[in-house]
Amino acid sequence: MPRTERPVRKIRLWDPLLRGFHWLLAVSVIAAWCLGRFGPDKMTLHFWCGYVVTGLLIFRLIWGFVGPAPARFSSFLRGPGAVADYARGMFLREPSHWPGHNPLGALSVIAMLAALAAQVSSGLISDPDDYINVGPLASYVSAATRSKAVGWHETGANVILVLVLLHLAVILFYRFWKREDLVGPMLTGEKAIRDRDGH
Amino acid sequence: MRHLTTAVALAAFSLTVPLTAQAQDEGPIQQVIEARHGFFTMLSRNMGVLAGMAKGDIAYDEAAATTAAANIEALTHYDLPGLFIEGSDSQTASADDSAAKPEIWQNMDDFRTKFQGLAEAASGASEAVKGGQESVGPVVGKLGQACKACHDDYREKS
Repeated sequence: MPRTERPVRKIRLWDPLLRGFHWLLAVSVIAAWCLGRFGPDKMTLHFWCGYVVTGLLIFRLIWGFVGPAPARFSSFLRGPGAVADYARGMFLREPSHWPGHNPLGALSVIAMLAALAAQVSSGLISDPDDYINVGPLASYVSAATRSKAVGWHETGANVILVLVLLHLAVILFYRFWKREDLVGPMLTGEKAIRDRDGH
Repeated sequence: MRHLTTAVALAAFSLTVPLTAQAQDEGPIQQVIEARHGFFTMLSRNMGVLAGMAKGDIAYDEAAATTAAANIEALTHYDLPGLFIEGSDSQTASADDSAAKPEIWQNMDDFRTKFQGLAEAASGASEAVKGGQESVGPVVGKLGQACKACHDDYREKS
């Protein structure tokens, strides 16, 4: 059935907890990143940002199984075929009206969540050998691992920077090329969508 | 069984040969790397005492704190940057045991300034740690900042 035959309608897509999660995560990741790179040598605040991110990730994992449909992993994780189908129509100059995370965007969601999970893990076991900053779980791993973790944490920071910049670039692409606002729905929860087969 | 014993003995012997040869052939690069590791081991043993007292893991003992702080002060008077001779960085094959980034040699003046920063942080530490557990924390904080300032740029994280 051609997509254009389905009507576009406005629905409440993102639930309040998911929106709260998103913006708190954005703030705490940016704060942690800037404190890590430019902040004071005593990294107490950076650590606290990391704990907030950890809590948010745990919430998102649970919400991915028990939350409303658009938040569930089972509703937005799709096979390579669906991803390829979506990617083919991606450059059309029209809004996607997709009801949630589209199959390609879902990969970005998973990449960001996985990168952040890896980042908090390496941070928790890091020991930069300066006697003022040490990850709370560093004593549970070998000396070689807690030293290497500092390097992984640095690499992770660069990976996260790239993923976040990609996220922002794609939002701008949707806004100005596809003429679809993705920020508004994440603020208000409301999005204009078109129902799709199987959804 | 006897063959196995012989084989094991031969294997073990063949392993010792290159090790012995290496030990006899110990050049200045291996020596400065060993000296640096010794320096940092001494530094970290004394830092460990102060950091442990600051955190409360080790009971505060004024004499022990003073000794550790005095040791750190003394260590910072040693010309550590002088041990960073050409070719003793982490990227050079013969220095595979080192965590010294090649950036040290590109910024030797800054590296020396960073080490001077540690000396300044350590200056007066043996007096500053006296008077109770609460006086140790600020000293560790100052020293730790100097550690971090240098590690961030010049220490290999692997």
